[in-house]
Amino acid sequence: MARTTSRDAQALFQSLRSAYTATPTSLKIIDLYVVFAVFTAIIQVVYMAIVGSFPFNSFLSGVLSCVGTAVLAVCLRIQVNKENKEFKDLPPERAFADFVLCNLVLHLVIMNFLG
Amino acid sequence: MARSNFSVLTILSVTLLLPVLSLSFSPDSPSDRRLLVLLDDLSLKSSLSIFFNSLKSRGFDLDFKLADDPKLALQRYGQYLYDGLILFSPSIERFGGTLDLAAVLDFVDSGHDLLIAADSSASDLIKSVATECGVDFDEDPSALVIDHKSYAVAGTEGDHTLIAADDFIESDVLLGKNKIEAPVLFKGIAHSLNAANTLVLKVLSASPSAYSANPSSKLSSPPSLTGSSISLVSVIQARNNARIMITGSLDMFSNRFFRSSVQKAGSPKKYDKSGNEQFVTELSKWVFHERGHLKAVNLRHNKAGETDEPAMYRIKDDLDFSVEIYEWSGKSWEPYVADDVQVQFYMMSPYVLKTLSNDKKGLYHTSFKVPDVYGVFQFKVEYNRLGYTSLLLSKQIPVRPFRHNEYERFITAAFPYYGASFTMMAGFFIFSFVYLYHK
Repeated sequence: MARTTSRDAQALFQSLRSAYTATPTSLKIIDLYVVFAVFTAIIQVVYMAIVGSFPFNSFLSGVLSCVGTAVLAVCLRIQVNKENKEFKDLPPERAFADFVLCNLVLHLVIMNFLG
Repeated sequence: MARSNFSVLTILSVTLLLPVLSLSFSPDSPSDRRLLVLLDDLSLKSSLSIFFNSLKSRGFDLDFKLADDPKLALQRYGQYLYDGLILFSPSIERFGGTLDLAAVLDFVDSGHDLLIAADSSASDLIKSVATECGVDFDEDPSALVIDHKSYAVAGTEGDHTLIAADDFIESDVLLGKNKIEAPVLFKGIAHSLNAANTLVLKVLSASPSAYSANPSSKLSSPPSLTGSSISLVSVIQARNNARIMITGSLDMFSNRFFRSSVQKAGSPKKYDKSGNEQFVTELSKWVFHERGHLKAVNLRHNKAGETDEPAMYRIKDDLDFSVEIYEWSGKSWEPYVADDVQVQFYMMSPYVLKTLSNDKKGLYHTSFKVPDVYGVFQFKVEYNRLGYTSLLLSKQIPVRPFRHNEYERFITAAFPYYGASFTMMAGFFIFSFVYLYHK
């Protein structure tokens, strides 16, 4: 039983990896960026749990800047994905411009809330 | 020339007026100075001479008048002529002149003092004055206070209406520091306190075995007033600090009672002198504001370490608060020493309540931290103690939050969060660069 499960899991991972290799490089870069942002957010939450929530506004802005970045990056990924038929009329240049604008607004708010 | 004449006139009139002005009741010297004494007949002047002489020797200016004198007036041109009124005219049905019940009550309402003594001949007028002050005399006109257990042995034989009372209120400010050893002789009518009046106090209470009835007739129904609910002497301090003393016995003030020896029934001890003189003298000192009159001055507050009084405090400021409290001793203001004066830092409810410490010289002081709440606060001292005039002080002071630049900046504990935020910005820049040029 256990052997079957681990073999199934292995098969699953292998199929996932082979499917993922077919993903275009631009999407892989976005994925890496999202993982980096989420990882930074997790580090901060752990730090807050240890040190305490004293400068709570700083904590919120630190975590929200990571979460916001991740969300915006995912939005960009949805819009530039060729297989996604919903946004096939939207040029990737337009999607990237939206992404930059939203990031500027996000970081402006974060800077105000940080200190 | 005309001008110098005018100034000479002004100076002259001021110098002439000054002694008159300084005699009147003022916060600087709260003792009464001019008393109007209303009598039923002028022979009382000699039979009560010890009491009157004691008042005179304490600096009072007594004006004796018959209660039906047609020229009686308490005020002239809107100014009160007297600071206190003594009603030793129990049988008067109508005052003479402009004086009536309303005038007496107005006199008290404007902060002046009143001493009423009734006896078995008490008229409806005197009883209604007492009723307005929160004291109800027995309605039966022939009733006297009778006590078959604590009557005075030396007194009359048989009817036990001469009472040796020693159930005093325990208050140094009302009755003086020296304990009254001998019982007080009382012969007169009973009164009870109006339960709805919270300001009236029983100073001398009848014993539990006393009752109010006609001594010469047989008791057919239970007496309406019995036991220690009968008050022999009561005082009231009104909210404007006017003081009133009411007693049902005019004889209490008489020379005969002052000098008489007293022995309480059932007690082997015989006193050569009754307690009347001490009791009446001490209580009259209280009534005419020679004792128990407080004033608070120099209410100060400042930030800890500074001396100037700020117009506003910030939340979490440390502050010092001080106030000086003095008691009038009859001649001068003496430091008031007590350990129960409190200050409130108040905004709809007290946020801080601190007991003030004093330096035995009248200066009360404390320090505390302004609470973490902003708004318009008040420093409040509300001091009400039995027998003392009430102190009600309040001073408004706003409290503001931190200014924008008063917050802590660059907190060490927050450095990881700063780092993360800037990392995200740098990450955004690098990502854009890599994403655009990765081919």
